[in-house]
Amino acid sequence: MQYVIVGIGGQGILFSSKVLGKIALSRGESVMGSEVHGMAQRGGSVISHFKIGQYKSPLVKAGEADALLAFDQNEAVRNLHFLRNGGSLIVNVHDAAALGNEHLKAYIREHDIRVYPLEGYELLKKHMNGNFLFLNVLIVGAMCGAGVGNVSYEEVRNAVRELSPAKFADANMKVLELGYEALKGV
Amino acid sequence: MILEMEVAKTVSTRAILLGNEAIARGVVEAGCLVAAAYPGTPSSEILPAIAGYADELGAKTVVEWGVNEKVAFEMAVSAAFTGVRSCAVMKQVGLNVAADPFMSAAHFDLRSGMLLICADDPGPHSSQTEQDSRFFAMFAKIPCFDPCDAVEAKAMVFDAFDLSEKHNIITMLRPSVRVDHCRQDVELGDIIARDQGFRFEKDPLRWTCLPAGVKINHPKLNAKNDAIREEFETDYARYNYEVKASGQAKLGVITSGVQFSVVMDILKSWKRNDIDVLKIGTPYPLPVRMVTDFIDRHENVLILEETYPVMEMQLPDRTKVQGRWNKIVPGAGELLPEVVEGLLVKVLGGQETVTADANLKAALEELRITPRKPMLCPGCPHRASFFSIRQSLPAAINPSDIGCYTLGINQKGVDAVIDMGASVTISSGFFMAQKASGMDAKPIVATIGDSTFFHMGIPGLVSAVYNRHALVLAILDNGITAMTGGQANPAVGDKLRKGDKGAVVDIEGVCRGCGVSFVKTVKAYDVKAGKDVIKEAWEHAKANQTPAVVIFRHPCMLLRQKQDTIPVRVNHDACVGCKFCINFFNCPGLVFDEAKKKAVIDERFCVSCGVCRNVCPHGAIVSTEGE
Ligand SMILES: Cc1ncc(C[n+]2csc(CCOP(=O)(O)OP(=O)(O)O)c2C)c(N)n1
Repeated sequence: MQYVIVGIGGQGILFSSKVLGKIALSRGESVMGSEVHGMAQRGGSVISHFKIGQYKSPLVKAGEADALLAFDQNEAVRNLHFLRNGGSLIVNVHDAAALGNEHLKAYIREHDIRVYPLEGYELLKKHMNGNFLFLNVLIVGAMCGAGVGNVSYEEVRNAVRELSPAKFADANMKVLELGYEALKGV
Repeated sequence: MILEMEVAKTVSTRAILLGNEAIARGVVEAGCLVAAAYPGTPSSEILPAIAGYADELGAKTVVEWGVNEKVAFEMAVSAAFTGVRSCAVMKQVGLNVAADPFMSAAHFDLRSGMLLICADDPGPHSSQTEQDSRFFAMFAKIPCFDPCDAVEAKAMVFDAFDLSEKHNIITMLRPSVRVDHCRQDVELGDIIARDQGFRFEKDPLRWTCLPAGVKINHPKLNAKNDAIREEFETDYARYNYEVKASGQAKLGVITSGVQFSVVMDILKSWKRNDIDVLKIGTPYPLPVRMVTDFIDRHENVLILEETYPVMEMQLPDRTKVQGRWNKIVPGAGELLPEVVEGLLVKVLGGQETVTADANLKAALEELRITPRKPMLCPGCPHRASFFSIRQSLPAAINPSDIGCYTLGINQKGVDAVIDMGASVTISSGFFMAQKASGMDAKPIVATIGDSTFFHMGIPGLVSAVYNRHALVLAILDNGITAMTGGQANPAVGDKLRKGDKGAVVDIEGVCRGCGVSFVKTVKAYDVKAGKDVIKEAWEHAKANQTPAVVIFRHPCMLLRQKQDTIPVRVNHDACVGCKFCINFFNCPGLVFDEAKKKAVIDERFCVSCGVCRNVCPHGAIVSTEGE
């Protein structure tokens, strides 16, 4: 299983691979991934690669990702080429109209990509007092709800609980469920 | 004498670690007792992780940030004069700063193991060069280990220490950014206990770098190199080995470091069985016989290494090899999987097919999506400081330095940057050139961060005082080394080990001590005061032909300290769409709505610092308080 996770520096995208890693480790599987630290973290485009299984290189090659988790829809479009044919995109949407772009739709059709849009900012405004720092947990929940990423809700719940600082544990579990419910069965 | 004692207790567990954490774990398990570093991406996580594991495993390791890499290196290497295992950690350009002690101490017959961990950044992602530290190892004639992943990096730490102790020589571990920042499951062990008492024996010829000593030590160093090369040929099969194709090989690929991992995954996804791969984990001194034998057995050979042709140039004959000398392999930039795939296809005689998809390209163009450039964080005090500096003296030249504040370039507040500390010396150079050409002096206002000031800003400042250079140095003190992830520095005083308290070094006092006659401090968010004091500082500098210092102070947003929130909105009746705020304030929370031709607050990013109220010349950015 190969994941690519993209977003904007400061959105906390590294959390997703931590969750996936925890799950893989508890299953006894090997993991390999790559993160961005440093200059690009300051509000620029960021990308993290994560592979579960027998891999050597930390990087996912274009056209080979099974799932793309996008914390920002523009970054989703910029990195869509990482997905293999038939891969899945979980995308946090702030401008739904843009996703209607004809060329984009054609690419998605041609490559048989399953798209799972999530209005993350709206959900967090409504339920979490607009605290967008919860976006990372929300997206992990949404991925699981959409049935993407080959992880069960139980596994994700356990991993997020273990990774949460005590102070945020309850809030994180609430947001996880919010994301899960938002994309469950779509 | 180092006595190896039996392993104290064995705990064997696996954990998912960052490559840098795996390296740190190795350092502590290998019984390193003195560790020093200066932060720099991609190496920054190593030292804090050494402190963390030392705390966890109960090691006595002394772990400290030096104010720069030269300081850190000298502290570490001299500990190895005394029988104590030590390591120094830095990024590749850090070794430029530490080059002087490095080149010199490479000749010494150390008493205990000393490991230099030098992290490279092909790309580059966060550096001013993509230099290859393996060349530095060759330059200094010390052995170099080049790991292909986190697991190997950790294993190499032990071997590098042992080799260092066997030959009394500094050894280098050269992880590249993809190893530093990979995440992999790694085996955890316990500390290998060793007897390491401090024992410094006076022996001036051994511990001083006098020419008389060099005459003895240089030939000795050459002999060490010969011996180590021979060991790399025969005794290091765990790092230097061949992965043979199951079928008849059409191509042989020589790799070092992470390139091995990249090639192996490509071959796996291609399901090809006609390519042999030679993996070299010790690129200097190169096991030449092993590599030459591989080349002799293949008609077609490709050599992949990042970023300079270090192995390639050690080959007695490289004419048969496809590499950098014949421009097959790109001479700059990271060898990403897509690039390597293209190279493999090319040398196999195929057609390269990597072209961007037309639909995706059109979508990106129509939606005007480009990579997001790095920007100062919302609420960052540097943004306010740059705004004050630019507005105060718009005609000024603005040299700057290396740190988050280099992003002041987005506000047109950064005109020239070379390396750490050069903000002051560039200003001096401009001052001298203006003076020589008899021109009317343009104001010079330079910016430097607190950590960078201590790193290498002070010598330049002393020089400017001594030589009477009229310039303003703005020290942007955010109480942290932010760019590299938030390390403490002398202005902060905190240290790395739990319960280890340092002393605070006061920046104002340092400047006064250097002979600066004008030192004033302002709150970075106070744009009006900032503008006034910059003007006043320049007047002082010009009148007295001397440097003046202004300290802009406010905690970094990464510290998440509590501060007043002042929610704002853009009054669209007053906004004329001039983009002044976009061009000179440049905040992620303040964007231009192309449809409305007005500035708007982007609530996804705005942190309500309220500074932008002082920015709009038309008064269109207003507080929503009481609305
Ligand atoms: C010789 C050298 N060492 C280390 C680095 C990595 N590095 C980049 S910026 C920086 C320090 C920035 O700290 P500071 O000056 O306090 O500015 P801030 O980022 O906090 O604004 C460091 C250590 C480098 N570029 N060059």
